Amino acid sequence: MSGREQEYREIFMAEALEYYDAMSRHISELEREPTNEPALRELFRLMHNLKSNARAMGYTSIGEVAHQMETIFGLIRDENRAFGGSLVPVLFGGIDSIGEMIRAVGENEPMPDVERLLDNLDRLAKGEEPNLEEEEADDEEDVSRKLELSDLVYIQVRKLDHLMNLVGELIIDRDRIQTLSREINHPALTTAAAHFSRIADELQYSVMDARLVGVGSLFSKFPRVVRDVAAAEGKDVELTLVGEDIQIDRNILQIITDALLHLVRNAIGHGLETAAEREAAGKPGQGHLTLSAQAERDDVLVQVRDDGRGINVESVRRKAVERGLVSKAAAAHLSDEAVRSFLFEPGFSMAKEVTEISGRGVGLDVVKLAIDSLGGQLRVDSVMGEGTTFTLVLPTSIAVKGALLFELENRNYAIPLMHTDSVVSLLPDSFNVVGGLLITRLQGENVPVVDLRRLLHNGDGPLPPASKADLQGRQDIIIVNYNNRRLGLIVDRFLRQQDIVVKPMSKPLDTIDLFGGVTLLGSGQVCLVLDVPALTRLFLAKRP
Amino acid sequence: MKNRILIVDDSFYMRTMLKNMLTDAGYEVVGEAANGQQALEMAAATKPDLITLDVILPDNTGLDVLRGIRQEQPDVKVVMCSAVGQEVIVNEALESGASAYIVKPFSEEKVLEIVGSALQ
Repeated sequence: MSGREQEYREIFMAEALEYYDAMSRHISELEREPTNEPALRELFRLMHNLKSNARAMGYTSIGEVAHQMETIFGLIRDENRAFGGSLVPVLFGGIDSIGEMIRAVGENEPMPDVERLLDNLDRLAKGEEPNLEEEEADDEEDVSRKLELSDLVYIQVRKLDHLMNLVGELIIDRDRIQTLSREINHPALTTAAAHFSRIADELQYSVMDARLVGVGSLFSKFPRVVRDVAAAEGKDVELTLVGEDIQIDRNILQIITDALLHLVRNAIGHGLETAAEREAAGKPGQGHLTLSAQAERDDVLVQVRDDGRGINVESVRRKAVERGLVSKAAAAHLSDEAVRSFLFEPGFSMAKEVTEISGRGVGLDVVKLAIDSLGGQLRVDSVMGEGTTFTLVLPTSIAVKGALLFELENRNYAIPLMHTDSVVSLLPDSFNVVGGLLITRLQGENVPVVDLRRLLHNGDGPLPPASKADLQGRQDIIIVNYNNRRLGLIVDRFLRQQDIVVKPMSKPLDTIDLFGGVTLLGSGQVCLVLDVPALTRLFLAKRP
Repeated sequence: MKNRILIVDDSFYMRTMLKNMLTDAGYEVVGEAANGQQALEMAAATKPDLITLDVILPDNTGLDVLRGIRQEQPDVKVVMCSAVGQEVIVNEALESGASAYIVKPFSEEKVLEIVGSALQ
């Protein structure tokens, strides 16, 4: 059963059981007051809905019984029949049968036989007497009838968001209480605080868990999209979905929906070739597109992979120079990976012409921004002639982030681990000064290094040229990575790694985009959370 | 520009199915209302291009909602969702300005065909 069929079945079941409960309630009201109009209207409506839903699901016998019952409740409502006499036990029996049939669906059991019931309902509709002989014998069984409630509750995302916010507050208090209990060091308090922490942790994970949905609920929309786009582009494309059961926060899925749609349209429009072009290149005529999800530690990797023409790195390199994003000399030395990252710069599009399907004015930069807003990463790998893979590295949950805490000028700051490559401690002679910039060599690559204090406090002008004389002793450096650009940040002291709850900045600070938010530490201190994309952009704008 | 659609149906199952069919086909579903009151409020707030309207609703008949909406927004297209046996109401709805109707249980093709031609 596909993800969507499963979803429909669960919704059908939950709603059908709800209808069944309401029907049982309303028919009892009718028994007390046979002309109760609201109860009659409701019974008619509930039967009608159950009929429509059951027929859509292909449960014909539920549909048939509900249809006949609807007819009779309609006749009673319109005063063509009275709720009394032999009609009453047949209708009660009908609702019981509906309950049994719904349970049979829920437990994958065969449907009970409803021939007799349908025959009696038919007789009632025609104004004939029902055949009631053996009905009485079943009475005893009815008393022991099981009561069943739905196992599924629908809940508005808004309510889950509220729960998550409350848990966020609680986690901050948890840290605060733990710190206090260490300071006060009273055995009873220590025990209580430890217990409280465990419960708070468990609550946090339970609420996060309640917000998780299968990636399949988004992936299942793509076969249709691919079919339509491929048809419009005149291409033959086969889609494979992998990892539909991987769980992710519902809001994250919502935020990446447009990004994924864009990447898929792009892959079909620009990545995959026409059947003729493919065959000429010695590939099978049908293009292949894979949408996959996999869990990797605390992250979820979502990939869009095509086996199309691949990205022409040289043409991206040329265009980056034309656009003034990089000098010709520097461009010549950039790695292929670094060159491909230019595709995510605002307004940088490789499409020769804008097609109806893939040229909707949204570029990869918009995809990049959506992923950035989640604190995620976007990467692209490609081999000419073999295909392209876009990888979205997403957090499983938006509420809690792993972060590295450090100190700068006696203040605490946090930097999300998602954007942290490594931390290093280097002596001054590990640096060179090139063009006013400090450069160090890490794993065979030149990485610019900047004193974070200067970057944050330097006003609007460019940074003053760096000098090795500024470096006194060992330097603690955090290497951050954004869009394949590594940058070293000199800080005063590393503190520790910790899960933090990021809260949005309140006005008027919310306009400072260098900070992604704030978090409260156990000590009660406010800690600013640095936004690595914004920091990288600031560095590029201010470099000497 | 995507056409914007409001779904009015008291069954969550039906709303989910319609929403999936319509969003898969590239429409934007701007809201889902489960009763007449909600339908009138959401129609006023979202100003959709088209409304799919169930003929039987808990607090109001679909017809009253249809007339209420048409009075406020004469340009909005309304597609009635009905079942076999409701021809009388459907006919009245068409006379009151509904553009078309769909009979439950419906197929995806049928829904898209009817919604598509109502929007033209």
